Amino acid sequence: MSWDPKLIEKANEIIDLYPQKRSALGPLLYLAQEKEGYIDEESVQEISKLIGITEVQVKSVASFYTMYKQEPTGQYLLSVCKSISCEINNSREVINNIKEFTGLANNETDEDSTFTFEEVECIGACGGAPAVQVNYETVEGVTPTKALELCKYLKEEVPKVIVADELQEKFGGTKSFDWAIEDNSGTSSTAPGFQIIGTAEEK
Amino acid sequence: MTENIKFTVDGKELEAKSGELLIEACEKSGIHIPRFCWHKRLDPVGMCRMCLVEVETPRGKALVPSCTTEITEDLVVDTESEVVTKAQEGILEFLLINHPLDCPVCDKAGECPLQDQTMAYGPGESRFVEEKRHFEKPIPISEVILLDRERCILCARCTRFSDEISGDPLIEFIQRGNKTEVNTFPNEPFRSYFSGNTVQICPVGALTSTSYRFKARPWDLKKVSSTCNCCSVGCSIELNTSQNKMLRILGEDNEFTNQGWLSDKGRYNFDYLHSENRVLNILSNSEGSFKEISIAEATTKIKDKIEELENPNIKFLIGSHSTNEEYFAINEIANYLNKDKYLSRDSSNVYFCDDLLFDGYFGDEYSQAKLEDLDSSETIVVWSEDIKDNLPILYLRIKKAVKNGTKLIVFGHTNTAIAGLADIYLGKDVVSNKFDLIVNPSEIEDLKNNIEGKKVTVVAGKSTVYQKKESLDKLINYLNDSSDLKVLNSFSKGNTFGALQNIDEVKGLNEFCNEFDSDAKNIVFTIGVNPVNSSHFAQAIKEKLTSSDFVISMDLFINETTELADLILPTTSLGEKEGTVTNIEMRVMKQNKILPAPGSTLSEWEYLTAIQSMLGVDVKYENESEINSYLVKEYKDQDQVPTFDNLNKPRNLFGVINRKDININTKDLEERDFSLLMVRRLYGDSTTQINSPSISMLGAGRFIEVNSSTAKKYGINEKVANFIQGSNSILINIDINEFLPDDLVIAPINRRGFENIDPSKDFEITEAKNREELSVN
Amino acid sequence: MKETLLLTKHMRENPQDSHLIDIYEKNNGYNAARKVLKENNPGEVIEEIKESNIRGRGGAGFPTGVKWGFLAEDEERYLVINADESEPGTFKDRILLERDPHQLIEGIIVTSFASNISKAFIYIRGEYAKPARRVQDAVEQAYEKGYLGKNIFNSGKDLDVVVHLGAGAYICGEETALLNSLEGRRGEPRLKPPYFPAVKGLYNKPTLVNNVETISSVPWIINNSGKDYSKLGVEGSTGTRIFSLSGHVNNPGNFEIEMGCSFGEFIDTFGKGIKENKSVKAYIPGGASAPWFTGSQLDIKMTIDDVADAGSMLGSGAVVVMDEDTNLVLAAKSIVSFFAHESCGQCTPCREGTTWLEMILDRIASGRGRTSDIDLLLDVCDNISPGLAWPPKMTTICPLGPSAVSPITSLMGSFRDEVESLLPKKVLINND
Repeated sequence: MSWDPKLIEKANEIIDLYPQKRSALGPLLYLAQEKEGYIDEESVQEISKLIGITEVQVKSVASFYTMYKQEPTGQYLLSVCKSISCEINNSREVINNIKEFTGLANNETDEDSTFTFEEVECIGACGGAPAVQVNYETVEGVTPTKALELCKYLKEEVPKVIVADELQEKFGGTKSFDWAIEDNSGTSSTAPGFQIIGTAEEK
Repeated sequence: MTENIKFTVDGKELEAKSGELLIEACEKSGIHIPRFCWHKRLDPVGMCRMCLVEVETPRGKALVPSCTTEITEDLVVDTESEVVTKAQEGILEFLLINHPLDCPVCDKAGECPLQDQTMAYGPGESRFVEEKRHFEKPIPISEVILLDRERCILCARCTRFSDEISGDPLIEFIQRGNKTEVNTFPNEPFRSYFSGNTVQICPVGALTSTSYRFKARPWDLKKVSSTCNCCSVGCSIELNTSQNKMLRILGEDNEFTNQGWLSDKGRYNFDYLHSENRVLNILSNSEGSFKEISIAEATTKIKDKIEELENPNIKFLIGSHSTNEEYFAINEIANYLNKDKYLSRDSSNVYFCDDLLFDGYFGDEYSQAKLEDLDSSETIVVWSEDIKDNLPILYLRIKKAVKNGTKLIVFGHTNTAIAGLADIYLGKDVVSNKFDLIVNPSEIEDLKNNIEGKKVTVVAGKSTVYQKKESLDKLINYLNDSSDLKVLNSFSKGNTFGALQNIDEVKGLNEFCNEFDSDAKNIVFTIGVNPVNSSHFAQAIKEKLTSSDFVISMDLFINETTELADLILPTTSLGEKEGTVTNIEMRVMKQNKILPAPGSTLSEWEYLTAIQSMLGVDVKYENESEINSYLVKEYKDQDQVPTFDNLNKPRNLFGVINRKDININTKDLEERDFSLLMVRRLYGDSTTQINSPSISMLGAGRFIEVNSSTAKKYGINEKVANFIQGSNSILINIDINEFLPDDLVIAPINRRGFENIDPSKDFEITEAKNREELSVN
Repeated sequence: MKETLLLTKHMRENPQDSHLIDIYEKNNGYNAARKVLKENNPGEVIEEIKESNIRGRGGAGFPTGVKWGFLAEDEERYLVINADESEPGTFKDRILLERDPHQLIEGIIVTSFASNISKAFIYIRGEYAKPARRVQDAVEQAYEKGYLGKNIFNSGKDLDVVVHLGAGAYICGEETALLNSLEGRRGEPRLKPPYFPAVKGLYNKPTLVNNVETISSVPWIINNSGKDYSKLGVEGSTGTRIFSLSGHVNNPGNFEIEMGCSFGEFIDTFGKGIKENKSVKAYIPGGASAPWFTGSQLDIKMTIDDVADAGSMLGSGAVVVMDEDTNLVLAAKSIVSFFAHESCGQCTPCREGTTWLEMILDRIASGRGRTSDIDLLLDVCDNISPGLAWPPKMTTICPLGPSAVSPITSLMGSFRDEVESLLPKKVLINND
């Protein structure tokens, strides 16, 4: 499916924010990610036309960054941190638990497209180790047991919008710092929830 | 003017220009610093880290990449210290940990920088015991190139070449870190006119040519320098043969012309030399069947025919693949056989087969340009046929000049490939669909501001055979009056300038058709041309040849033109003859012989002297060198004559520029409407190409180019359609090109299917009904 | 010892709504911006920053005032805020983005004014979705009030701020890689020279690249004075810094202090000691790129120069504490693996070397090591960072390669026995 006029309009709005068109490549890839769940060939072709670079140049940039997915993702992207602070705080067990529950290995998506699991590098939640993200919404202090509960919750309740505060309350533990501000914002796609892309949502 | 400064390397004091790269300055002084990613013709990136050297800094010794370090006054460099040697060993070990042990089956072995540098600078063994990276190998990334990602050392030479030099970034790095690979986008192969260059500059066997793969080892090859004949840039090439077969052509770095690069056509179009379709013996055509005869019989036939016809018109249709010496010989015999004798203008009987031939700008009032003038000019102006398709290396030179700041002004509508590079593109508001200049050049503000009082190089030629010379005159004369102008006459075919320099008066195909008197007796020589295949005059020429009393063709193959001949005299081709050729700058360069003449083929001049002998004329020369000694007498600069000896001298390696008087005598075509603009594409159905399996498929595509509103007018809303004229129906791809003006439809003249299309007649474009035809050829 | 609150003062005093513009303004917010725009003396602003002696808070610690002074003249100049906080152990920029975005925006306004810049970008790592939303909301609030956009504060000057998301690449924290990423390219570091951002930065124009914390410090400096700022902390490490403390401490978190105390004091006072009362085996003083200190080196002072002299770096201000039961080989592997994954792939030693180091450590950690592996590891490290010197020399384009070497030299330097215990025992043949 090529991009419909509304999406193209949004894309052009984003392009206008930058002095040079090519700078909009990053946000446009998020548009594609939100639409398809990954960077598909059609999106690459559309973006290539909008920005004026070749398809392989688009793919070259997209494949450089881990957040642009090259294969279809499930509804919930489970990212578990394995960098140093989380590693020495038992992230291994969290990872193993999630792997067992979902039956997935690193970077895999399950058959009914519910979960995509990935082991990621430091997400800046080291004070709240071990930390995970669901669709790039951070939940800190997730013990191995709570991790299983989180997965179960997602699978059974199938929440439409992922809100970090909500999940933190249910499944989180130690935080990196006091979050203080009440926040109902989140996202419902595997592209980070951000106003400029149009993926920020409220519950 | 940068002065020389002193710097020290390994204790030796050296001199170089300030700002020069350390690695290059050392190279010039005989100190070799190993490297992979640095290439003299590409911007340095300092990625492979092989060229690390130690330099003295205020804070002690620092390890820096010499390819990105500029020479500064009193720089002290150590290329052999322990730290440097360890770094070199380390880098090679790193490169080899994932590099497969493919040497026994890899094309590059024997001429491989990785092998050579490992032997010279590398560790004896690898300490890597883990599993190497694996990729499917090799994968075709285009019809002519294969990619082996396991061998790739990620030096980025190929991706940088495609981005910086050729402007076709169709290959790029995918993924990151250890998983990085070079690749194309799925279904977007590496279709670039210049892709072969990446194979030549790849420092390992990651990129290989389909045509050369597994054919030979470099130590088996015989090598000789020569000059390419595909277009009039005359790139310097190296011919590689083994067991008397041409196996490969490489680009040589001629500072003045191609600077190391070749188009894929120049690089890969040579299989035809050994094609089984090549004519190896003289053929006599009696009522449609060809019989082999000897040269004695052939020359006798010719002599007899000339006598029989009693003072016939004898005309010569010549091409662009002959050497200067051959043109000289043609000129001699043409004059001798000219019924009207060359006593006055208009009486020449030699016609050059380029539709776009016209008088050009060769008078004393015009200063002729060299390719290096593109770099030193402030502005380049272009009005000519499509440069990228017909003078591909000129396209690269223009692109390079633009990258370095030269302004580019392009007139429409045949140069849309460089429109993207142009600072100013003058399309439908300035040039009509019939290529009339509808505005006075002095009134084009953008043009005026960029050329008045400035150094300008103009690439000048007719965009189409229907164009009036007047339009071009207006532009060129304005430029000549208002700027410091140098002219590159853009005649694009092979050794055109060799023909112009060595034939007393050259006319074109229009003149041939107009001057042909069907009521008289006519003998026509066709020498290395096939105008019946792809020329605007194809039909007319076919008629004339058919109605001629005797046609003698010198060529390599039986083709649309030679099949009309009574005698086919098979000739030698690239690498099979020695001679000189002249390029677009009037640079005379050498072509050398490395292959024996196959079968009973002879060079053109050998046939002509045999005919002359048969006619009782004294022949002054017995070999090419002797012919050359005659033709050099007419060069204007007698201190720098392009004799074979002179050209073989090292300082003349890149040829010598020398001029002769040029006499072209053509007239504009009668004004006529044309509905279709037919242009030559780089790849096509010329006889050499269809007999070269390595690249014949590249010239198979059939397409037309229109802008989107023209497409709408014709009701085209898909990517394919049927092109219909009379009984001809061709399945074509539609290429949308927004640089084109409305109602201009561009079609290729040299693609199968279009040979019977008449650009002056109407045509239709309809929905493609029969899609099964959409197979190549 | 106590925290000194400059950067985190507003958010502590107004926890629920420190992110709203009205609350920020009630708390002296945007007065520094008003002040400098009214006085209209950009040179003076740069002088204040120079006087403060504030050093970049991203990791390199370059004097900020000097950096501002380097910015080349041009009509087109840019300010880019480096919010690509990805150094493992670091989460201090996150709290500033999430809870006090207006402080950053005000800092941007002052900085842009001082350097005659009218377009600024905030490059936030993609994984910081919530902080990015907060910042974008704050930017929109500022636009609404006329503090950003055309004729800001009625000064006649324009300033546009665009929030740009990264997409998961640590290397984009390196300033030139960040600029490449912002241009829509692969996040590959550029060669310096010639691509010093102050001269040839974004779109080849002069660009100031500064860390979030650095620019967030600017309003305080303007509201008080550079001199006042320089009086805080110690010489060479003036002002306050937010340190992120994590690992095996009881109380991980962000703590804003004047530099000068020892790591031991810091861990005891703010981290409230180690969990289960264990002892410190090793700790990382400044993010994953920094060589480790051992548990007997807790007296080293938390200043840029003290840590550098002791053979490591204060870097991003991230302290990770590892207790006596930590498997240091796995810890080292985790860090080496991080760098191998984040390597951009441009240059040979980093691309091939870091993965090779990861593979060797993997073999060792899983009991498949060989006795020659220790020397091999160190030699491979030497080929990435010649001499294993500190500060590191490099055969690479950027310091990522040498960063991967830090955990290995630390491991082999102080904990070699832990590694050797995983290798096959040397068989001693005694023929007596």
